[in-house]
Amino acid sequence: MASKAITAPKNKAHELTFFEKLGNRFSNFRKRFEDGSLGTKLAHFIFGAGNFYHKQYVKGAIFLLLQIAILAVMIFCPSINGTPYGWKALANLPLKNLSEGGGFDPATGHFTSGSDCKLMILFGFVTIALIIIYFMIWNMSIASSYKADMDKKIGKKPTTFKEDMAELLDGKFHVLMLTPTCIAATVFTILPTIFMIALAFTTYNSQDMNDLGTNLFRWNGLQNFAAVFTGEGSLGMEIKNRFLPVLGWTFIWAIFATLSCYFGGIILALLINKKGLNGKKVFRTVFIFTIAVPQFISLLAVRNLLGEYGPFNQFLKDLGWITESIGFLGLKTGDSEKLAKVMVIIVNMWVGIPYTMLMTSGILMNIPADLYEAARVDGASTFKMFFKITLPYVIFITTPYLISSFIGNINSFNTIFLLTGGGPTYTGYQAGGTDLLVTWLYKVTIDQGSYNTGAVIGIFTFIITATITLITYRRSKAYNEEDTFQ
Amino acid sequence: MKKALALLLIFVLACSMLTGCGGSSGGGGGKDDGVIRVWVGEESADFYQKVCDEYVAAHSDFGYKIEVKGMDTGSVAGTITNDPTAAADIYTVAHDNIGKLAATQCAKPITDEALINQVLADNPASFQKVIYSTLDGNQYLYGVPYISQALFLYYNKALVTEEEAKTFEGLQAAAARENTKAITVTGDDGFNMCFALLATRVADHGTTVKIYEGAESVSGGSKGESNCQGDDTIAIVRWLQEYAADPNGFKWASPDGWDADLDKDNKGVLAVIGGAWHYNTAKAALGESNLGIAMIPTFKLTEAACEGLSGVKAGDEYRGGTFADCKCFMINANSAASKYAKEQELIAYLAGKEIQNRSYLEVLNVPAYVGAASFIEQCFNEGKVTESQFNLAAMQVSMAEWGIPQPFITGTLNTYYYSKNGPAIFRAMIDKTAYPTTGDQILTETESIESIRKGLYLIEYIWMHGVTPDSFPASLPEKA
Repeated sequence: MASKAITAPKNKAHELTFFEKLGNRFSNFRKRFEDGSLGTKLAHFIFGAGNFYHKQYVKGAIFLLLQIAILAVMIFCPSINGTPYGWKALANLPLKNLSEGGGFDPATGHFTSGSDCKLMILFGFVTIALIIIYFMIWNMSIASSYKADMDKKIGKKPTTFKEDMAELLDGKFHVLMLTPTCIAATVFTILPTIFMIALAFTTYNSQDMNDLGTNLFRWNGLQNFAAVFTGEGSLGMEIKNRFLPVLGWTFIWAIFATLSCYFGGIILALLINKKGLNGKKVFRTVFIFTIAVPQFISLLAVRNLLGEYGPFNQFLKDLGWITESIGFLGLKTGDSEKLAKVMVIIVNMWVGIPYTMLMTSGILMNIPADLYEAARVDGASTFKMFFKITLPYVIFITTPYLISSFIGNINSFNTIFLLTGGGPTYTGYQAGGTDLLVTWLYKVTIDQGSYNTGAVIGIFTFIITATITLITYRRSKAYNEEDTFQ
Repeated sequence: MKKALALLLIFVLACSMLTGCGGSSGGGGGKDDGVIRVWVGEESADFYQKVCDEYVAAHSDFGYKIEVKGMDTGSVAGTITNDPTAAADIYTVAHDNIGKLAATQCAKPITDEALINQVLADNPASFQKVIYSTLDGNQYLYGVPYISQALFLYYNKALVTEEEAKTFEGLQAAAARENTKAITVTGDDGFNMCFALLATRVADHGTTVKIYEGAESVSGGSKGESNCQGDDTIAIVRWLQEYAADPNGFKWASPDGWDADLDKDNKGVLAVIGGAWHYNTAKAALGESNLGIAMIPTFKLTEAACEGLSGVKAGDEYRGGTFADCKCFMINANSAASKYAKEQELIAYLAGKEIQNRSYLEVLNVPAYVGAASFIEQCFNEGKVTESQFNLAAMQVSMAEWGIPQPFITGTLNTYYYSKNGPAIFRAMIDKTAYPTTGDQILTETESIESIRKGLYLIEYIWMHGVTPDSFPASLPEKA
């Protein structure tokens, strides 16, 4: 009872809501301004002023330089390829007052570009990120000065730059480690993602750029999302009529591709690990060859094998069983969609099973032998031992793999694109019979230049995969009963 | 130790990030580094590097080193528009890309008087119509022609006689003998479709097809007049439907590629309509001894094709059409202004008659200047080229008389001629399949005269507007 009484409030302290935390931050600001020294008060307006006040010159200079640099960017608006950063980038974000043509001086050959909406949006978001960073540095500058105030209050000397640097290699090593990673994630993942999401709310496609002018497009609200239901717009009919079939097949494919490779791999691993089997290493090596060969080569080889002039069709013709080549992979309009779907699942087993086999082999070798021993003593059959020991053990350990494999198959671009190219195609539509959302997205963006529609499909794909991942993983034993097998 | 390793890892990560922020190399880049970079077709790169080196050696005051790189000319325009800063100072493209490259500010106009005069003096009027574009409301010369190109026929000489290769019917008879298909095309896009859409009467080279005829040469101006609903076009569609339905007639290229169809072992097809850039592939498929080269064949309209149409009659003879194009040198807008004068000087040299003639002899580029045919013939008579090399050039020159330059409107980002829906509708008609359009409009069948006219109306509408119409007009006018 006593321990409960002690731990309960502690747990409660850890369960502050986001808004409570935010509220605390604001109350801290006020407290710091009221209680802080003159330096801390000044730091609210001039970065590093508090550090200079406490004779932390290097730190103060760094804060000040950062403030000057960011303000210089915001005020003077340097530009790349004629598109500015800073306040002008914010002013450009509504995509108004666009200039279509560039400037050219025939005498010198000097050339300047017109507006580029892609860069306008990108630089607008970068500027917003810069503003957020500005306020983060502002907070750090005040906090640093306030900490020095507090140190002084308790009779401690404010830390020197050298000590701060040493602290980065000791107590704050995690900060040093995470900073480059966070910057990289922001620059290479978060900003491009936000940019792509933004495109879903624009008219960015080759058709509209033709009408408006080079590199020019506009915001159009939710119209691209509405097109999924209304069929309006240049690709409206495509989206309206093909979205659900493609979505449905994407799920069917993901389920079959995942389960067939998963159970195929387990069965193969069981066979190879069977006691008394000679040449286990040879069998394992043979199957691993399909992993060693780059997947696109294997897939293109299969495509050729099953092609119109491929050896398989030729063989059937030589036998006299067929006179016309069979479109196994649905590469032509009019080929069987069902046959193509079955074939891609079968071919995918060929390239996918060895992965599961390899992983499952390791798991099988780690199942405690005494479990089987005990089962044998209790008179369990081989069949029963498989379903009561082996399978639950393997499934428990591989559930996260199963989920990631399912998600991977939803986005399985290579297999579909290289084998069938999404075919058989349907007259008038980009999306063919075996196209997944991801291959369809490729066609819509690269072939049709409809980047806004592509962004909408991408967002839908993300929502679907994220939802499935969350639900299945949180309901899995691997998540809920983490310690069971440990 | 762990911390040291972690720091090292972070250092590597930071270096990688900084490397990623670095600029690209190999392109113009806007800086004057004493090098003029030139992109030409892959097959000609060595030749142009050689003649450029000769030029630099002979002109000590030129002041620039020249680096020539071979590029896939089919995709180079896309490469340039994707990142013009990484493209060469001077590049070469087919003329139909000029509008797009100028409008996307990837190209700089030609302003050197001497070069402009050279272009006007050397090139046929048909080329001169398609090498201008507009910038800031002014019209400028953008492209300097140096290669002429047109579609023609490759055929399997081992299975088809020279006489049979002259007509679609002859090819069909040969295909029946060999139990295969007569002819295919290298793609089902707007460019390759021209063999049917631009087919012209043998008697007078006539056709009712118009593509942006009389278009204004200013940005945002009129797109001119287009027509593809004439009786002759309807009859040609019906003739091609018939020909494609025949077991020994036309086929679309298989997914394995047109070269797999043409391959002497597969015998999937006897002939293919292609360009000079397909020469090596066709030669590989058939072997040089089996490779025949001829003009695109003629065909006679059948009774069934003309039934119910007043503007045509059975037996009318047509020749398959082509676009007669030129490839041009252009200057990258991102190239340093200080190179501008020398770039134009170099283009004047490379596009001059002497270098065009040498490029024919050494890399089989067909010259673009007026009167090149006599030079080609002279080379053959003097034994400077082989028969197939002569045929390759002579057939293009001959076909150019039956073609028009690819559709082009100066100052426009792009024409809608190549909008993918147009060729898709055309293919649907040849395959006799239904076609869905916008606004819940569906071509439920494509066999009757009415539905073919509707399909052609859709194509014509796409040429002019880029999209299919929301609905069909109550009645379509006959355009005989």
